[in-house]
Amino acid sequence: MNTVYQIVVCAGIVPDPLQTLEPVASPSGPALKNEMMLPAVLDPWASHSLYEAANLAKHLPGSKVWLVSLGPKAKLQQVMMTVAQKVPFELVALDGPGGGFTEAAEVAAMLAEAIQAIPGLDKSKLLVFGGWESASRGAGATMQMVGERLGIMDQFQGVDELKIAADGSLEILERIEGGKHQISKCAGLPALLGWATGNLPEPKNNPQIGMVNMRTVMPALQKAKPVKFAGDGLSFVNVALPKQLRETRIVKDKSPDDVAKEIIEWIKK
Amino acid sequence: MDDGVQTQIERQRMDADIVCVGFGPATAGFLATLSKQLVNADGTPAIESAVMPGLPPQVLCYERSDDIGFGVSGVVTKARALRATFPDLDQAQIPMATPVGEEKVLYLLDPHGASRRSAALRLADAFIRAFQWMLPFEQHGLKLPWTPPFLHKHGGMVLSLGQFMQWAGAQVQATGTVQIWPGTPVAKILIEDANPNMAQASSPASSAGVSPGVSIGSGALPQPAAGTDCATLTSRSKVVGVRLLDQGVDKKGNPLEGFTPGMDIRAALTVVGDGPIGPIGQQLEAHFDMPHDHHKRDWAVGMKFVVDLPENTALKPGTVLHTFGYPEPEIFGFLYVHPERVASLGIFVPSWFDSPVRTAYRYLQHWMLHPYLWRYLQGGKLRSWGAKTLGESGRRGEPHLVGDGYARIGEGSGSTNVLTGSGVDEAWATGTQLAEAVLELLKVKKSFTKENLEATYVKRRRASWVEREARVAEKSRDGFQQGVVRGLMGMALAGLTKGKLTLGGEPVQPWKRIPSPEEYYRGKIPVAEIQKLRKECTIKGVSLHGVLMDRLGWPAIPFDGQLLVSHQDALLMGGKVQAPPGYADHVVFLYPELCQKCGTKICIEACSGQAIAPGENGVPNFDREKCVHCGACLWNCSQPLPYDSERGNIAFRAGTGGLHSAEN
Amino acid sequence: METILLLAHTETDGSLAQSAREALHVAATLHKSVAVSQLVVGLIGENVQSAADAIAACPATKYFGVIGKDFSQSRYATDTAAAEAICRTSGATVVVAPATSRWNRVLAGVAQRLGGHVDTHINGVSANDGKIAVNRWYYRQRMEAVLNRKQRPWFMLIDPGSQPACQSRSGTASIKNVVVELSDACKRTTVIGVREPAADAQTIRPDAQLLFVTGAGWTKKQADGQPHVPEAEKLIRGFLQLSRASLGSSKSLVDQSGEGQAILSFLSHLNQIGQTGATPRHPKGLSTCCHGEEPHTVGWRFVAERRAINLDPNCGWARGKADVLYVADAFKVMTKVNELLAAKT
Ligand SMILES: Cc1cc2nc3c(=O)[nH]c(=O)nc-3n(C[C@H](O)[C@H](O)[C@H](O)COP(=O)(O)OP(=O)(O)OC[C@H]3O[C@@H](n4cnc5c(N)ncnc54)[C@H](O)[C@@H]3O)c2cc1C
Ligand SMILES: Cc1cc2nc3c(=O)[nH]c(=O)nc-3n(C[C@H](O)[C@H](O)[C@H](O)COP(=O)(O)OP(=O)(O)OC[C@H]3O[C@@H](n4cnc5c(N)ncnc54)[C@H](O)[C@@H]3O)c2cc1C
Ligand code: SF4
Ligand code: SF4
Repeated sequence: MNTVYQIVVCAGIVPDPLQTLEPVASPSGPALKNEMMLPAVLDPWASHSLYEAANLAKHLPGSKVWLVSLGPKAKLQQVMMTVAQKVPFELVALDGPGGGFTEAAEVAAMLAEAIQAIPGLDKSKLLVFGGWESASRGAGATMQMVGERLGIMDQFQGVDELKIAADGSLEILERIEGGKHQISKCAGLPALLGWATGNLPEPKNNPQIGMVNMRTVMPALQKAKPVKFAGDGLSFVNVALPKQLRETRIVKDKSPDDVAKEIIEWIKK
Repeated sequence: MDDGVQTQIERQRMDADIVCVGFGPATAGFLATLSKQLVNADGTPAIESAVMPGLPPQVLCYERSDDIGFGVSGVVTKARALRATFPDLDQAQIPMATPVGEEKVLYLLDPHGASRRSAALRLADAFIRAFQWMLPFEQHGLKLPWTPPFLHKHGGMVLSLGQFMQWAGAQVQATGTVQIWPGTPVAKILIEDANPNMAQASSPASSAGVSPGVSIGSGALPQPAAGTDCATLTSRSKVVGVRLLDQGVDKKGNPLEGFTPGMDIRAALTVVGDGPIGPIGQQLEAHFDMPHDHHKRDWAVGMKFVVDLPENTALKPGTVLHTFGYPEPEIFGFLYVHPERVASLGIFVPSWFDSPVRTAYRYLQHWMLHPYLWRYLQGGKLRSWGAKTLGESGRRGEPHLVGDGYARIGEGSGSTNVLTGSGVDEAWATGTQLAEAVLELLKVKKSFTKENLEATYVKRRRASWVEREARVAEKSRDGFQQGVVRGLMGMALAGLTKGKLTLGGEPVQPWKRIPSPEEYYRGKIPVAEIQKLRKECTIKGVSLHGVLMDRLGWPAIPFDGQLLVSHQDALLMGGKVQAPPGYADHVVFLYPELCQKCGTKICIEACSGQAIAPGENGVPNFDREKCVHCGACLWNCSQPLPYDSERGNIAFRAGTGGLHSAEN
Repeated sequence: METILLLAHTETDGSLAQSAREALHVAATLHKSVAVSQLVVGLIGENVQSAADAIAACPATKYFGVIGKDFSQSRYATDTAAAEAICRTSGATVVVAPATSRWNRVLAGVAQRLGGHVDTHINGVSANDGKIAVNRWYYRQRMEAVLNRKQRPWFMLIDPGSQPACQSRSGTASIKNVVVELSDACKRTTVIGVREPAADAQTIRPDAQLLFVTGAGWTKKQADGQPHVPEAEKLIRGFLQLSRASLGSSKSLVDQSGEGQAILSFLSHLNQIGQTGATPRHPKGLSTCCHGEEPHTVGWRFVAERRAINLDPNCGWARGKADVLYVADAFKVMTKVNELLAAKT
């Protein structure tokens, strides 16, 4: 088999997972407090898909990986410096809001348009990758809409493994209920995969890859197309953090036996 | 892993024109100045790369921390050098920046009577309390009638250095001529000796297998020979680049699955701006030695909170408060107010605070709870937390600034001014001076030899305000070696007489100053009790300072889950501390036998992240995932190395992870 | 008028899953609170009659079905085609569906095809004066939003376990069969099976009612100055066997195990709960010998009821991180708990 793939990875940026997030109201709807100050990372599940894409491309000579990313340009630039040393890709950047409260359908429209504009794109070689759910919107909706817009009828979500058979067919493991995986076989391309964690470790930083990537990253950022979202028809009534602190009842003077009894009662309840 | 093993490994190599270590304000100043002049307006190279002909010089910068702005700290600056680089600097573009407004210096009295005050200070306190009705005294704090001019930051900015660095990083990279790679620590400096045999002799860590004559600064143990017998010969050694950190290794550095040896980055010039505790600076000092009479013995660890002030705060943006006197007389505090009800505040615990129990965290909480400050802070919320070492030796800590193939800038090169408490502007200035020198040399195609760098960079630096002011500051703080009162007087004297008068007292190595808790608390806590407490704490795996401070009458901290939180909670809620897997421990106890017989175990007490804890057989444990890379353990160790009295038993090497906040 | 469609797929045995009944509850409640609305049901599967019959007493006025062998598979192309057809035929304006892995895969795509919008991770739907609002999570369950939408159709995927199930009784439903023509392109994918983890002596049991967390205190020296690791191991194993709880741990404890010391043999980093560990979902959690530091307790976000046993009345759990803190010796308490559990079984 001598398949050459065009792998397009859609990955946004999200706040570094440990940051304290707090919603605030802004003129354009809900946003995060200090959104521009929060350190950002490439969306975790989507970045796994990038690693899977790179791994695939490495084993199928001639294949190529594009990374399509929508986010505020300054933040994108910053995140690229932590991603670009990992795996080779060509960046397609869109300059727009990267927060979670934007509408999946609108984001999907922009991404699909950017993908269609990639020169030399050939659907019979196309694999579209992305994260199953983002760590911002957390919806698991954007990729399907991108797929629909590109007319891709073979779509998979929560993917943990992709194997390519000798005949070019794909064998895919998707997460389903109860800690199990569904195994599917897909006869050929194009296909869209929303990845979960997969099986690859995070690639090590490779300065040489970084050097090469930067030749396209900076120009791509410079010509990043500005995009705006309307958010028509959607209105947020309220956005709040779940209550974290509880009223703790401190039981001090019970004997261990009594504590044990109380615990048993509680467990059985 | 030793270099002995590493020599077997095939390493990849990459060539650049200039490689920089660390992206602090010094390197930012360097790159901001350099990047503007590498290409012409039409995009053609203004100067040609030696390694990629036809392209502009390839300039790479490797930063240890996981993102730009995570590894730095700073708040108030006169911003003279910053403005020289960015004449149109618009503060509104930089989150948290605002002009300096009101400046105050406060002497804080001890409302609990738990601090350790000299007789002289107690007398002064009694006097202040007696005459408080006629003094600017409120809430146990005395406002000094006037702020000495050398402390003034008027016309300057209050900012978040993290945010400023992110902004500066974006400006620099947008030029497209330089690349800054965070999350990529530089492990070693590559030194090539003119005489390969000499290299073998000078450094046992040299790795003959790599390429003949290349020795590698070992983060670990420079043996006695290094830099002494061979000083004259090794001074002809040439720096040829850096080696990045090995990836895919265990705690000890042994290869695991996915092992990726750190790449060698070769460059004609290596710019070392790795800050006060940077391992590359340390390696250079081990290899080339310090200039005669120069040493790094004065340090402080700064720990700070960034806080959302309560809604109704009376503090105005731009306010600058400096405090001294409490929680211990030796501990200085600061509170700076940013726009939008945000404040940066914290304390410095200096090396000349002779206590063996010196946890910055607990002291910081007591400081915040001082009535003078607490009325502003109560109801506030922790946003960010962090700690970092400040190199306080100033000019006296200046290493060799240049050598063949390398130059040093910023705090690690002795630029920080301890008299004025200013480091950012100075570091930036040294970076710009080096950039101008480099451009000058590149344009006339001169190589980066020691002589050429001396004639360009060092010359500029010596002629600048940085040097002039550093000379005033040079001995200003020596008085502190003999107590706070004397220290403060010395500082004032030096500041006001422009350095002509100082109060002597050559600094001594920190380890000489550290008594055991038994000695320090003699007459206050019985020896047997200390020993009992120590035993209990070792069993629990915690440091001793908490119980000792309780015992001395420090009140318990009333945790509120918002601002007053446990130390571990601060790591997560404030510092967002984390460490990626697959790297070796960067804090290493060099001689376990020294730790075993060490009575103070001050590394545990001083650790800013509770990353060092009591361990088996008397050797402490290090937990990389909690380390904030503050470097306090490096200079706080109470046991000197058998062959180098300037260094303690802890190696502080290059490592990943740490703080994930860009607000500090 | 709103046409509220409950959209469900059958299980392999032709039944309706609990999560489908939960979604039905949402749909029926919504129908009740929106004055001008009708409730309809759409079912997809190889055979849907018994599933429809099982809920026949619900207030739905119509039942639509897409049936056939091709629709027994959980597959994007056929599921989107089926769902699209039912939505179009029923004229649905609001589509309520359980967030099963099968529907999660397809409904956003169907919404796109119909020019509609979709919300996922919904844990509540309400209506006020005919205005419908959903509660959904953002930022991976870190923020909850309440929102309305003007556009229709509006797809709502309801998080399983977040709602009560509809208890509607069975009867006989009359189903309108919606015919879907499938092109070959729809069948390029075939489901060839399911992979399950080996059912060995797993200590991590995602479906357990109780998360049992062990902290470093289990291996620390106790009041007598000695550690009691073997005893700790016995107590923990015993409890796990008797209670079928899932085992979690603090970082400090698993870190010790990693270094080859004589520490609890059955723990691995997979058991670690917290910021650098897992964030599992369990109705109840019991913490023992763990201090309750923030980096640990953030992993408890989805543990609904929390209790802790700790010797230290000032530990983190006391500060609003648990519902109940028992200040007691976990060795003694757990010995008794095991005794009581053993006696009952
Ligand atoms: C708490 C605190 C508050 C302060 N407040 C002020 C203030 O208000 N005003 C002021 O002017 N100054 C202040 N300072 C001083 C100021 O922070 C320093 O003087 C200044 O940042 C020094 O700049 P630098 O570039 O030399 O080094 P640093 O800022 O220390 O930067 C060095 C960089 O190198 C990186 N690095 C280290 N080792 C490696 C390696 N091996 N590989 C790659 N990268 C590495 C580090 O991560 C870091 O980013 C403060 C310092 C502290 C600790
Ligand atoms: C960046 C970062 C990330 C971290 N990530 C995690 C994480 O993901 N998960 C995590 O767990 N931790 C994490 N930690 C570590 C965390 O902060 C704590 O250090 C850790 O959770 C402590 O574990 P512990 O409570 O089991 O141990 P300890 O703090 O040692 O507490 C032991 C407890 O046992 C009690 N005890 C002892 N004997 C008994 C007895 N007989 N009966 C009852 N109680 C007894 C003691 O009172 C004490 O409270 C992280 C820390 C940092 C800084
Ligand atoms: S590192 Fe230094 S202070 Fe710490 S135990 Fe060892 S010798 Fe003592
Ligand atoms: S171990 Fe890390 S956090 Fe602790 S003192 Fe050393 S550098 Fe600072």
